[in-house]
Amino acid sequence: MAGLTLRSVIKNYGEVPVIKGVDLDIAHGEFVVFVGPSGCGKSTLLRMIAGLEDITGGEVKIGDRVVNDVEPRDRGVAMVFQSYALYPHMTVYDNVGFGLKLAGTPKDVRDKKIRDAAKVLQMEHLLDRRPAQLSGGQRQRVAIGRAIVRQPDVFLFDEPLSNLDAALRVDMRMELARLHHDLNATMIYVTHDQVEAMTLADKIVVLNGGVVQQVGSPLDLYNTPANLFVAGFIGSPRMNLISGSVAEVTPERLRIVSGPSSFWLEARGHGLAPGAEITLGIRPHALSVDPSGTLAGKVQLVEQLGNETVIRVLLAVGTEVTAVLAGQGVHAVGGPIALGFDAAAVHLFGADGNRIALSGD
Amino acid sequence: MKTATPNTLLARGLIILLMVVTLLPFLSMLSAALAPQGTYPNGLQWPEDPQWGNFIRAFEVAKMDQLLLSSVLIVLGVVPISVAIATMAGYGLAKLTSAKYKWVYLVFVFGLTLPFEAVITPLYYEVRALGLLNTRFAIILPLIGLYMPFGVYWMRAHFLNVPQDLTEAAQLDGATRWKEFLLVQVPLARPAIMSLSILLFLWTWNQFLLPVVLVQDPMQRTMAGALGAFQGQWGTDIPLLCAGSLLILAPTILLFLIFQRQFVAALMQGAVKG
Amino acid sequence: MSENTVSAPDVSQTALRRPSSSGRRKARLIAWAFVAPAAIAYAAFVLVPLCMSVYYSFLRWDGIGKARFHGLTNYITVLTDSDLLQIIGNAFQLVIYFSLIPVALGLAVASAIRSHMAGRFGTMTRTVLFLPQVIPLVAAGIAWSWMFASSGLVNQTLKAIGLSDWARGWLGDFVWALPAVGMIGAWVQLGLCTMLLVTGITKIDPSLYEAARLDGARAWHEFRYITLPGLRQEIGVCITVTVIAALASFDIVYISTQGGPGITTTVPGLEIYRLAFAHRQVGLASALAIVLMLLVLISIAPVQWLTRDKK
Repeated sequence: MAGLTLRSVIKNYGEVPVIKGVDLDIAHGEFVVFVGPSGCGKSTLLRMIAGLEDITGGEVKIGDRVVNDVEPRDRGVAMVFQSYALYPHMTVYDNVGFGLKLAGTPKDVRDKKIRDAAKVLQMEHLLDRRPAQLSGGQRQRVAIGRAIVRQPDVFLFDEPLSNLDAALRVDMRMELARLHHDLNATMIYVTHDQVEAMTLADKIVVLNGGVVQQVGSPLDLYNTPANLFVAGFIGSPRMNLISGSVAEVTPERLRIVSGPSSFWLEARGHGLAPGAEITLGIRPHALSVDPSGTLAGKVQLVEQLGNETVIRVLLAVGTEVTAVLAGQGVHAVGGPIALGFDAAAVHLFGADGNRIALSGD
Repeated sequence: MKTATPNTLLARGLIILLMVVTLLPFLSMLSAALAPQGTYPNGLQWPEDPQWGNFIRAFEVAKMDQLLLSSVLIVLGVVPISVAIATMAGYGLAKLTSAKYKWVYLVFVFGLTLPFEAVITPLYYEVRALGLLNTRFAIILPLIGLYMPFGVYWMRAHFLNVPQDLTEAAQLDGATRWKEFLLVQVPLARPAIMSLSILLFLWTWNQFLLPVVLVQDPMQRTMAGALGAFQGQWGTDIPLLCAGSLLILAPTILLFLIFQRQFVAALMQGAVKG
Repeated sequence: MSENTVSAPDVSQTALRRPSSSGRRKARLIAWAFVAPAAIAYAAFVLVPLCMSVYYSFLRWDGIGKARFHGLTNYITVLTDSDLLQIIGNAFQLVIYFSLIPVALGLAVASAIRSHMAGRFGTMTRTVLFLPQVIPLVAAGIAWSWMFASSGLVNQTLKAIGLSDWARGWLGDFVWALPAVGMIGAWVQLGLCTMLLVTGITKIDPSLYEAARLDGARAWHEFRYITLPGLRQEIGVCITVTVIAALASFDIVYISTQGGPGITTTVPGLEIYRLAFAHRQVGLASALAIVLMLLVLISIAPVQWLTRDKK
């Protein structure tokens, strides 16, 4: 029953820094997802928590215990690997029970725990088989079962679903959510798939280049991305980013121009002055066709999905934006179009890439 | 694929020719072994009255039972230990892959091309200093050392192919390095260990230079070494020599025929990797 | 370990940098422990003797009495003495038989068959062709001594086809003894090379041949531009194995000719044995041994380099 604390955690490979000082608090029972592009350090961070990678600097605490120099086996963690890492020469039963056997758990206790885990994962009929005889989804279950029987304080998942096909991935995702609910355990989950992150997490940690970009609930990240990276990474299709500048500032409002477009935003306490370079962020779903809309351009591509229509528009400023429109509208490729949006849905990012709060808080 | 037919015929012809060439020496020996004692037989000529008794006499003259025992003892002394320590070292070196430790591996690999003749003279003095001359240990101990380059090379290559994830999973499951090695790595390495055992068995059984130099008494030698002595002693009695040679060959050939698949696989991989 | 964790409560960015964690040092120690037994055996019975060989090679020593430092004299002898040079030359002549014949025949069979040898015929072929690899070289020597004997099968065959003039005691003939010994080696290596090359050729994508045929390639072109490059690695393996076998040969020569007649079939391996244990010239024997080792290395290096997988 333990949470997890990371303090100024650093990892260098030789001279190359891969984790550049991560601070993080994870409460007991939380489902935390590390997400980011490949090479961002999310797996490395997970492996440092597991004890599979040295910690160059900083401190990792599981519960109240500093575990920097504790062997992986003594950290009270269990891990599910991307490749599942099942022992090919052992049956499912022995795979699941290997850790208990090494710990010297009496045979009858062991047997009960293995069978309990198998029941939870609905794989009692697989216990006599070997990994080679199992499908991808079944192997996944065994790998999870191996983690469950050890009753760890913290479960670690390293891209566990990436080797499954799409349909199975959705099933396993739901199953993992159920498992988290049933076990009430702390889980840390690494993925590059933002949909997995959004659906599973209590708390998402977005990493890029070895630096935490933002920590928050899925909706926090979606609604108030802390910077351009998070804005571009969370949400599908990606948020449209359009460069522009501040034209006028009044106590209550801001006028933004981007090429020929110009519009007012309600804004207070932002500290922007006229002439400041900014980046506008507008989610594709926030755009709509509006003949009087301020974003004018040419239709480049139309994708009819039935329930909605995705169009790509080349704006006069030379930026391409994506709009997801409700229903099955008809748009001629190459034809002119004007897009409008609700000013409240606009995100503003400063020249440094960080979010500019517009509500004054 | 139509044009393949004449080629296949040609290939079959060639292969059958090769097989005949391979087998002829054995047949020629067999025909000579069955010739009456004291005669000087012809190359390949089925004797009118096959003297199967020659084999019995050769068995007694060559003291086949003692020879077999001696060879088995030597093999038992060499192969299990060599395989065990080569497997351990192969695993250790597969974990020490950083450039800083590459030299250890390179030192082992250097031994792959080393002709035994290059070290046989000092080995003689070393074995003599250890007081082991003319004992089976004079063959056993040096062979273990001489097999290390190949053994370590072979097992390391295997362990490099085992996913690192398994090691990590075992670590998280609470295995010490040693337990991981015994319970996870060794069972997985069984095919590689099997092939290595077969090769080392063959090389030991057939080892000639070491017995000739280090052990005078044929009864303390390997089969091949004993065969050399047998030829020295009975070289002029062709029927007896041929019968004795065939007898001495019989155990290996028998084993080979039984485990044909494993032997062939081991020899092919052994050549490729060596 | 505890030193590091005591200071934990007041963490600052730099306070916790440590050069190398104790965990990694321990892992390395354990890895060394795994390597140690093999390293000890290898050092004791290969590296130490090898160093002694180098040391002996600078001595004049009969193996019993007092040794005297002899400088490079032994090496100069090895490289200038006409007998010793002939002996080294013999080893290189054997390479022609041990390597060239098996590789050439193996290539011929492989390019003719160009498919898996499946079924009973395949199993039988493999079994038979591998027999010479399984038996001791000594046995090959005995068998062929009998084949090459004056009443042996070779002469019997020659007489049967009317070439009685050619019949002779092959292994006692000053001209023919070395080629005869070479043929024994070729016989031993033939099966292994053939099987390696046949297996290798099945790994070449057959569509390459079909594409070449569409491009108008003749059989020779297919061989030259597809088969040979495709088998580069396997050919390299065959040459490596057989060259080592030829240069370091001992068993076959010891059994079939004892190096005779004269020194026409003496090879370095046999000469080392004689010099060290019969003529009691330990220094010279060791110098020859070191030269042999270097010759093997020098001969193998270009083969390895040329046939390495160029990925």
